[in-house]
Amino acid sequence: MVLLSLFLVFIYYFQTNNIPNNTFLGCLAPLVLTSVWMKRRTWFAPVFLALILIFIQLLANRFGIRFYEDYFLIVMFIFAVVIVAFLSERIEKVRSLNRLNDELEKESKKLEDANKELEAFAYSVSHDLRVPLRAIDGFSRILVEDYQDDLDDEGKRLIGIIRENTKKMGQLIDDILHLSRAGRQEMNITQIDMESLFKNTFDELKRTHEDRNIELELKTLPPAYGDRTLLQQVVSNLIANSVKFTSPRDPAIIEVGSKKGDKENIYYVKDNGVGFDMKYSSKLFGLFQRLHGQNEFEGTGVGLSIVQRIIRRHGGDVWGEGKVDQGATIYFSLPYKNKK
Amino acid sequence: MDLDEVEILLVEDNETDAELTIRALKKKNLTNKLVWVKDGAEALEFLFATGSYSDRSKEGLPRLILLDLRMPKVDGLEVLQRIKADEKTRKIPVVVLTSSKEDKDIVESYKLGVNSYVSKPVEFDEFTQAISTLGLYWMLLNKPPE
Repeated sequence: MVLLSLFLVFIYYFQTNNIPNNTFLGCLAPLVLTSVWMKRRTWFAPVFLALILIFIQLLANRFGIRFYEDYFLIVMFIFAVVIVAFLSERIEKVRSLNRLNDELEKESKKLEDANKELEAFAYSVSHDLRVPLRAIDGFSRILVEDYQDDLDDEGKRLIGIIRENTKKMGQLIDDILHLSRAGRQEMNITQIDMESLFKNTFDELKRTHEDRNIELELKTLPPAYGDRTLLQQVVSNLIANSVKFTSPRDPAIIEVGSKKGDKENIYYVKDNGVGFDMKYSSKLFGLFQRLHGQNEFEGTGVGLSIVQRIIRRHGGDVWGEGKVDQGATIYFSLPYKNKK
Repeated sequence: MDLDEVEILLVEDNETDAELTIRALKKKNLTNKLVWVKDGAEALEFLFATGSYSDRSKEGLPRLILLDLRMPKVDGLEVLQRIKADEKTRKIPVVVLTSSKEDKDIVESYKLGVNSYVSKPVEFDEFTQAISTLGLYWMLLNKPPE
């Protein structure tokens, strides 16, 4: 492109060489043409340059210094070439940027489609999977109600198993929906008082465990920046876990505190519960991963996955420490000021 | 049953859900004048006395409509919108009774003027409890305009 414009300028220069007064203006035409041809609004650059040169020439003339047309042309010529070269390089950059941009747009369109599909899937899970479950649970119950006299204890026990499992399945569906919501729900970032969030959540959960002796040791906590609903979910999952895994303890002690990191606040929830073996710490946050038997503690193995997903969306991280029978500590970090 | 003296209109495409709902209402003696239609199109025909219900009198309107959202042909939200758009039917309390807990369904229903939104519990006891509570509330406690 640069070469082509040089070539054009040369031709023009040699052709118009015999008409001294017009030569340098004559040079402008091909420059402007090539710039316009390159589709960018860079044509003003050579025009601007020419205007400056005309101005200098006029000024020089006034002071009695006479410019030789040829020198003048060469200077302008070099300028023009440098500018065209510079511009064409920039144009190339812009073009490749545009290309990347187009590709990015395509990718994000794909992502958007995938997200919509996921949403439709979640919707259908929330609706369609519940209907047959309700039928299984309802009609096995009706069987017991209407045919009580015809069923012996073993029959009733078997139906009880059916119902227990539909209940579990219902819980699973709810948990999966929570998880998917944690991933796609729009975030509304505000400053959140973590102390009161922990305190309120604990009080609420304690009410459903009146028979137990649970203590909360709440240290001073810095405020966090994040989405209230989502962080509420994090806090509630963590406290619920601690309450659950301290069930053999009296008193159960849950300690909530914080540390300052380089760029983030680290909050922790520590309990004196049954703990876990660090050997399995990699499985702590896996979906449907459980470190305890179904007969020991209830649960679907989704709670900490939800916590991880939410914290990562906030730009933080989550990890755990524990020892068998000596309690567990779950840490999560949140950047000081989360922009997104 | 005289179709002009209907008290509860149950709009539900799923037969087992309908049976469970009717059973729960029956325990509270609320099913004597209940009509069950299987989709939104039939519900509209019934309410506006058109199509297969064209020999019904237009005056005999139910006192309560229990409406499922996801149905073939005409879905629940459209039925709701039609009910609330018509001067005669808009006074009938409509309770959306659905499996969906999606926020957008809830928001949309209330925007269209639903009187209550109940998400059907999976667990039988909770389900029965929810249905009979809402049946008693809307049929006995609630005072509709004359």
